Amino acid sequence: MSNTLSLSNAGVAARLSRYSSTFNTLFGLVAVALIFELLGWIVRDQSFLLNAQRLSIMILQVSVVGIVAIGVTQVIITGGVDLSSGSTVGASAMIAMSLAQVSTNAGALYPSLTDLPVIVPVAAGLGVGLAVGLVNGIIIAYTRIPPFIATLGMMVFMRGVANWYTRGDPVSFPTSSYVAIGAGMTPVVIFLVIALMAHILLTRTLYGRRTFAIGSNFAAAGRSGIKVGKHLVLVYAIAGLLSGFAGVVLSARAQTAQAGMGVTYELDAIAMAVIGGCSLLGGRGTIFGTLIGALIFGLILSGFTFLRIDVYYQEMVKGIIVVAAVVSDTYRQKRLARRVDAGK
Amino acid sequence: MRKMLFATVLAGFASLTGLNGTASAQTIGVSFHVFDDNFITVLRNGMIKHAETLPGVKLQVENAQGDVGRQLDQIKNFIAAGVNALVVLPVDTSGATAITELAAKANIPLVYVNREPNNVDSLPKGEAFIASNELDSGTLETKEVCRLLHEKGVKEAKVAVLVGQLGNFAAKTRTQDIKNVIATPDCSFMKIVDEQSAGWQRVKAADIVTNWVSSGLKFDAIIANNDEMAIGAIQALKASGQPVKDLVIAGIDATKDGLAAMADGSLKVTVFQDAAGQGAGGVDAALALLKGTPLEKKVYIPFQLVTPANMATFANRN
Repeated sequence: MSNTLSLSNAGVAARLSRYSSTFNTLFGLVAVALIFELLGWIVRDQSFLLNAQRLSIMILQVSVVGIVAIGVTQVIITGGVDLSSGSTVGASAMIAMSLAQVSTNAGALYPSLTDLPVIVPVAAGLGVGLAVGLVNGIIIAYTRIPPFIATLGMMVFMRGVANWYTRGDPVSFPTSSYVAIGAGMTPVVIFLVIALMAHILLTRTLYGRRTFAIGSNFAAAGRSGIKVGKHLVLVYAIAGLLSGFAGVVLSARAQTAQAGMGVTYELDAIAMAVIGGCSLLGGRGTIFGTLIGALIFGLILSGFTFLRIDVYYQEMVKGIIVVAAVVSDTYRQKRLARRVDAGK
Repeated sequence: MRKMLFATVLAGFASLTGLNGTASAQTIGVSFHVFDDNFITVLRNGMIKHAETLPGVKLQVENAQGDVGRQLDQIKNFIAAGVNALVVLPVDTSGATAITELAAKANIPLVYVNREPNNVDSLPKGEAFIASNELDSGTLETKEVCRLLHEKGVKEAKVAVLVGQLGNFAAKTRTQDIKNVIATPDCSFMKIVDEQSAGWQRVKAADIVTNWVSSGLKFDAIIANNDEMAIGAIQALKASGQPVKDLVIAGIDATKDGLAAMADGSLKVTVFQDAAGQGAGGVDAALALLKGTPLEKKVYIPFQLVTPANMATFANRN
């Protein structure tokens, strides 16, 4: 797109496209909500939206993937992708939970390491994520292999770690202070606070400008003095850290950790970001958009259970929505580009 | 330096795979359909522990990761490597004929474990199937739920069902068992009000049950295809302030977590499937076939109903 625009117009166009894209996702959210509301009155004879409990579960059930999606959004803005996040969730859940067990549980994994203060398992979970992110970033930045390959390898590796750690046994019976991390609406609060922090980071700081610059034009970003390699390591490290955190929240919520946790979370997270207007080519995307993308997922999950529709259809509809969102976004971007061109 | 490193890595791999054993050992190639399932993990560990107690028996365990093609390749590789017997948990129970043919052609004993192959009635000599009869688990579970509801004097009982992973044999059978029991005159006062798949997972089940509660669905019992989903239901009901202990929540597997939930009074029914017993039984059957001992085509290890009354005997078994 930037090829066809003069430099001064490029900034305006990017801003315009960012706003219109978010607006469109928001429109999608409202449309889906209204469809369920209407069907609710027809099929179930009750309101879909005017139900506090349903509204809270809608966002609660997507907050863990949402935390992952915030990191993934930043990676996608740099033009990369992170396939390792789901496996990282699983591994960090296992390792964190093994340090969060109560002493009254006879089958604790480390009987001498029970009843530890909650900071220990949380730090362990975050540490796993951070380490994964750093390795991802270093491999991608300094060997220049495609992020798809690097993180694909990491995805397989970390699932191996999750399985190997206890040879597949689940880890359960955490302390009450650990459970508190995932209790009630806490995961939602964590998700929203992280989203707000990431939003500020991306829109108001040098970090954000560099992230967008790298994704818009890799070579130009390097020539303009950005230490591209170092910055990429930082972005992947943040994404890894958030996956690790998601593993902690998920295991606290489930009050158990299992090696298979987080399977396909990476794809759900990417889908949320893409529905929210992230371009897989890089340089475009917002945290707010991803948040809306997550809400659309939550809306569908709750809506289908509400209408008592089979889970088979849920997956089909999810697939259709991802593609439809990107197709409509692509059309809009083209129209916008023509408009900016015309005004030149 | 580089060569040395390479040699070290290679030696490391060799010790990892355990292939540098003595030539006289009996090697059994084991192919699992998946690894990351709690029940299968108990079965696998039961199998490995049992084999360790048998002198001269070596297991080589591989994971087919739910991929039919990968499993066939593993079995071909096992045969090419000259294993003495095969133990297989088939990925696709309707595609077991291909596995049977491979083993028969190589003249190697083959034991199917846990997952019933569709050719079970036509297995050739030297092959057998060991498992629990899947038709029993959901039946035992639902009959007990029926008994409890009857005892409580519920006239028209509403039942919500949490189904395992769609398309999975156990999920299908256990759900059908529920319906079959409800179809009997004794339990016809039960009615299924909704049925959703939570893919065996705790958190997914919790989300579904919260969605049920929020849309005003009323139920007297929740029958889940496994304990994990039953526990998810319990967590969701507790979180939304529902009287969990007045409801009949039922699962299958008698896992540690399940028994803990039963101990605190929230899980009323579960069913024990002897995972470790199946794993050990698979190895024993393979060795028996190797010696030429005749074996029943189907060896069933029974499911057992677990209630608060007898739960103590099942502690630490799964």
